[in-house]
Amino acid sequence: MTDQEKDPVVHSSLSKPLFISSALLLLSFGWALYDEVYGTRPWKGYEARFAKVYSKFLKDTLPNELNSETQIKDSPEYKDLDRQMQAAEKAVMPQVAEIDHRVNLELVPRALALNEPFQEVRGHVGALTYQIEISKSESSKESMRKEIEELKKEVHTVKLPKADGSIEKLPMDFATMDKTLQDWKTEKATILQKRVDLLKPATELRAKRDKYLTDRVSDVSADTLNGLRNKMSTFEVGIRQIHVKDVDLVDRCESCHMGIREPVTLTKAAMGGEEAFVSHPDRELLKVHDPEKFGCTPCHGGNGVALTSIEKAHGYNEHWLWPLHAKENLEAGCQQCHSQEIVTEMAPTLDAGRETFRLRGCMACHRYEGFDRDPDDLSAVNQDIRQLTQQKAEWTREIGFSTTKGDNTPDNDEAQKFYQHANDLKVRISGIDAKMEQDDDRARSLVREIKKVGPSLKEVRMKMHKEWLPVWLKDPHVWRPGTKMPTFRLDDGEIRKIAAFIWQSGVTGDLPHQPAGDPEKGKEAFETRGCMACHSMGEGDDKQGGTFAANLSRVGEKDNYDYLVRWVHNPRQRTLPYCPFEKKDITEADYKRAGLPFVFDTEHSKCPNDGHELLVMQMTPMPSLRLSEAEARDIASYLETRKHDGVAYANADYLDDPNLKADGQFLVRFYGCAGCHEIAGLEEEQRIGTELTKEGTKPIERLDFALLGHRAEAEGWYTHKGFFEHKLANPAVYDQGKEKAKLDRLKMPNFNLTKPEIDQLTTFLTGSVDPSIPSRYFYAPADQRRDIIEGWWVVRKYNCMGCHQVHVGQTTVFMTLPRYQDPDWKDQRPPTLIGEGARVNPQWLMGFLNNPSLTEKPDEMDRDGVRRYLHARMPTFYFSDGEIQKLVRFFAAMSSQAAPYIADRLEPLSDQERTMARQLFSSEGAPCLKCHATGDPKHDAHATAPNFLLAKERLKPGWARRWMLDPAMMSPGTAMPSGLFRPEGDKMVFAGPTPASFNGYNKDHAQLLVRYMFQFTPEELTRLRASAGAAQ
Amino acid sequence: MDFHQLWTIFSTPDNVPIVLLLFVVPFYTWYGMRQAFANDRLIGQLEADPALAKTSHRKVEPWKPGWAKEVHVWPYLLRIEFLAAIIVTVILMVWSITLNAPLEEPANPTLTMNPAKAPWYFLGLQEMLVYFDPWMAGVIFPSLIIVGLMVIPYIDANPLGNGYYTYKQRKFSILTFLFGFIALWVSMIVIGTIIRGPGWMWFWPGVTWDHNRLIFEVNRDLPDLFGIKTSIGKLIFGAIVMGLYFVGAWIGMHKLITRTPFNRKIYSRMSLLQYSVMQVFMILMMLLPVKMLLRLVFRIKYVWITPWFNI
Repeated sequence: MTDQEKDPVVHSSLSKPLFISSALLLLSFGWALYDEVYGTRPWKGYEARFAKVYSKFLKDTLPNELNSETQIKDSPEYKDLDRQMQAAEKAVMPQVAEIDHRVNLELVPRALALNEPFQEVRGHVGALTYQIEISKSESSKESMRKEIEELKKEVHTVKLPKADGSIEKLPMDFATMDKTLQDWKTEKATILQKRVDLLKPATELRAKRDKYLTDRVSDVSADTLNGLRNKMSTFEVGIRQIHVKDVDLVDRCESCHMGIREPVTLTKAAMGGEEAFVSHPDRELLKVHDPEKFGCTPCHGGNGVALTSIEKAHGYNEHWLWPLHAKENLEAGCQQCHSQEIVTEMAPTLDAGRETFRLRGCMACHRYEGFDRDPDDLSAVNQDIRQLTQQKAEWTREIGFSTTKGDNTPDNDEAQKFYQHANDLKVRISGIDAKMEQDDDRARSLVREIKKVGPSLKEVRMKMHKEWLPVWLKDPHVWRPGTKMPTFRLDDGEIRKIAAFIWQSGVTGDLPHQPAGDPEKGKEAFETRGCMACHSMGEGDDKQGGTFAANLSRVGEKDNYDYLVRWVHNPRQRTLPYCPFEKKDITEADYKRAGLPFVFDTEHSKCPNDGHELLVMQMTPMPSLRLSEAEARDIASYLETRKHDGVAYANADYLDDPNLKADGQFLVRFYGCAGCHEIAGLEEEQRIGTELTKEGTKPIERLDFALLGHRAEAEGWYTHKGFFEHKLANPAVYDQGKEKAKLDRLKMPNFNLTKPEIDQLTTFLTGSVDPSIPSRYFYAPADQRRDIIEGWWVVRKYNCMGCHQVHVGQTTVFMTLPRYQDPDWKDQRPPTLIGEGARVNPQWLMGFLNNPSLTEKPDEMDRDGVRRYLHARMPTFYFSDGEIQKLVRFFAAMSSQAAPYIADRLEPLSDQERTMARQLFSSEGAPCLKCHATGDPKHDAHATAPNFLLAKERLKPGWARRWMLDPAMMSPGTAMPSGLFRPEGDKMVFAGPTPASFNGYNKDHAQLLVRYMFQFTPEELTRLRASAGAAQ
Repeated sequence: MDFHQLWTIFSTPDNVPIVLLLFVVPFYTWYGMRQAFANDRLIGQLEADPALAKTSHRKVEPWKPGWAKEVHVWPYLLRIEFLAAIIVTVILMVWSITLNAPLEEPANPTLTMNPAKAPWYFLGLQEMLVYFDPWMAGVIFPSLIIVGLMVIPYIDANPLGNGYYTYKQRKFSILTFLFGFIALWVSMIVIGTIIRGPGWMWFWPGVTWDHNRLIFEVNRDLPDLFGIKTSIGKLIFGAIVMGLYFVGAWIGMHKLITRTPFNRKIYSRMSLLQYSVMQVFMILMMLLPVKMLLRLVFRIKYVWITPWFNI
């Protein structure tokens, strides 16, 4: 038989394929094992590496730290402290040893020995007592009681050890044993307390010594390091997870990021270049958000459970909805819980994003919960008023019915019930009246609180050169780089129509003709009165001043001088008031018809037609600086000089073409101009954009990438972050390549945002999520922190931080102005408000915020109530009552002050004390009146501090004393000298030479001055001034 | 040509079985047919040589002198099965190591995924939804498929071809199977996986699956083409058309069945019931390709519109 004819079924050998496939099987089995142990568990490698580098780090750092520790231990101060401690310890040593001997060798072993037989009897008695309790037969109860008696009487021989080791045998019955034990316990407690008292000086000295050491050893002590080394020597590889049970949160991030919570600071370099092992950069933050309670992913994003790969754990894989926040958007995680805030501590990027969102007017088109809520609040209040009115009418009707029913009921009791019901309703109606009054007040407040991002366009005819309008509309950023108004993608036809509508919709009114002012003086006033806290001047690199409001470098090209004077004098002044009820501007004719003078201001704010609350102020946050007319003219004249030379504006007579108006109105409404501007006929326009409150968790499929979707996926920005960044950089980006009619294109205008601004806004938007954690984790405190949250909104709204330092580490605009770098001008910076709540009486603050001139006399308004020596002036913001309340509560809360404030009662001064204080006040060592204003114009020209007459009303005594003791601590760089007092025993005494009358005075000198200040009178001041004058 | 798109479709863990299907189904069809043709040659050899037919030979291999007529299961069959088991185990292990279960994001009731696809083994049914109304495609036809498969042993009057591969002796059954399984079922799964993109639109392989894609396609009902407006008219018209199709298909199928003398022999062995059942299932099966043709080429949505179902 040839080979070919052999039967393949029987004769072919399968050994080769069998061998190969078995080998493959073995290989794949090996692969599976590897995959199981290491492949899908990369964290094991991380842990092993961490153990290695960290142990090495500890080993290398330990000697260095120890060295510095030995050095400190060798220092004479430490040695001295140590010696003192040793001496104190030695002094009491014999007594302590005696106590220790008594306790350790006698009381404790004897008590232990006695305890045994005592417990035995007690146990037996206890068991018998239980039997008595459950026994049903009275006779057996009786017999058991007897048994107990016998047990207690029985005498036991107790073997008690003596200090010398011998055994003492004593006969004792139960009662004796009990008493002896109690006595010993009492004795032990007494002498142990005595031991503590004896050692107290030594213990205190030891603490002092140790503190001396820990104060000087950086980071960690040798003990801590040793502890860490011990920990690492028993290191075990395993999953490290945080499990927060009540939210079902499991975060295993620390399985790789093992250094995050180590007590030593671990840097990338120290950890062998492994970034994953560094410690958390912000320990403060971790202290507030304990990872054991908050986990990691609620703040950072990522997939806390995943361990199989870096990509998955960080949530960068497709389908994971909460990826790790990018470095530049790290603070997006804060927004989830801190969504009620405009300022969140320790989150500067997020804060900047919110501020941009607010300041640039994003919220004028996009609803965002919490932002610009005043219009919503107003409509809610109005709704409430309507409901209450209805309820009141209903109840009034029911009162009538009930009374009639009572009259018609023959049964007396029944009738009484009806009358009672009617009476109850009357009482309840009085409650409604109270509530309606509150609502009315609130409505009046809210009308004042509503602000618009841009200026009112009703005033445009009075304010502008009409040729300027089309130029501005074309591209505001060309005319004024960085301005708030974004660039709309308008064609020339649209510009003509919009400009024409705006021009024609403007109101007209009388504007008094103003004589020219002095631009030189105006420049000085502009630069020193405080205008530059909000406004900037100069272009390009020369730009100076705040970014809160417009750059005024070219304002002379656009504005009418007469209007500018009115605006600078009082920016809130309107040409015509607006009635939200009738939805129209009220003219002089309306007032005339009602027989009223044409006067409207905060005092006269009722509509002559229907009595509803009028809008009597322009909706600008710009305050009134209470300038004199002359000064307003100077500033306006100066501003009129701010222009580019030789700029020609094309003729714009078509603005008066009535044919363009209707189309223009359509476009103005279409592009949502009324979101930022007050425009006649469009006052009640709604927002035109999409709501952004939860934009960060909008399903990505709902974000319209249009034709860029595939490119985004390929380039890796098919994410929320990518969408926002591209949209913000170029709002028309998703129109690319689309065939659309002009009006179908994306409307969002270009804000010309910088990269940092885009990052900040992206942080804010990616953080704006539908929260994945329960609401009890949200930051919604009910205590004073609530006041802080609310206060920040007002502080930001009016740009208080342009002039004042409101929180530690903040820079004001004044601190950046070149003029205010000069030492002479540093004192001219507006005061810091850090600690303001502790400084001033809230009642006074309320009055001051309402009217910072602190006077009702119109001719004296042109001044600052407290610091008249400052060129800059606290302006009048026309705050609503609600805003004042919020601000006062904010400052109180920022300084942890109790509310309401109850003033300390100060002991009245004795005559002798008054004389002493007077002498000290005007002494050489404390020439208080040298700097503090006195009301004498000659003297006050050089004063750099407030008048003492204000102290009583304005200050809190506790603060005043702290301030006198160390002003530099509260306000570094203040002109008020520190070190005026020195401690002597438990009181503070004047550090300089004291007048002779102080001899024998044993009370606190600082407190004496405070008491003096708080009973200061104008007469006292005159007297002091006279004596000071005499001294000079 | 968007290769990235192709790669995305082919590399999705969900789609691995279908990609495998693309290669494995043709291979085994070819492999089975090769064996069948080899056996057919043997049958021809034996039929031509009655003497040889009487000698010892195996059913599945050409006769060789000296070969045993039968071999033992152990070891000759089991060792091959053992080898196969090892290979399959290796494949499954490698597969399970390299590809994880395709998890996606948590279901969002307010957001339907697009395209929303059934598991791969149901994609044929989902594809049928394009051609029939849900009642037909989702309930009636799946039931009929199952019943039809159950009925096969009872209507198969051909005694030949048991236990060995042959094409010559079971031409009708094999062609029917190839048509029903590969041409209809498998290809619909492949279409559902590879061709159907967002909006369940038809994307040829290599065309980008664009969520914004818009196509202009007007699907009309057949009665509308004939200007029939009333629903009763549509009902009657559809019934007539379907009746015509039924009669035509019956006749055509009958012609096909009785084309060869062999088939006529089998036909004569069938009872009327067996024959009728077979015809009904054949006609219903043909309904699918006919409807696909109408829908894809002539843009006809429904032929027969009734208040209860549409075909």
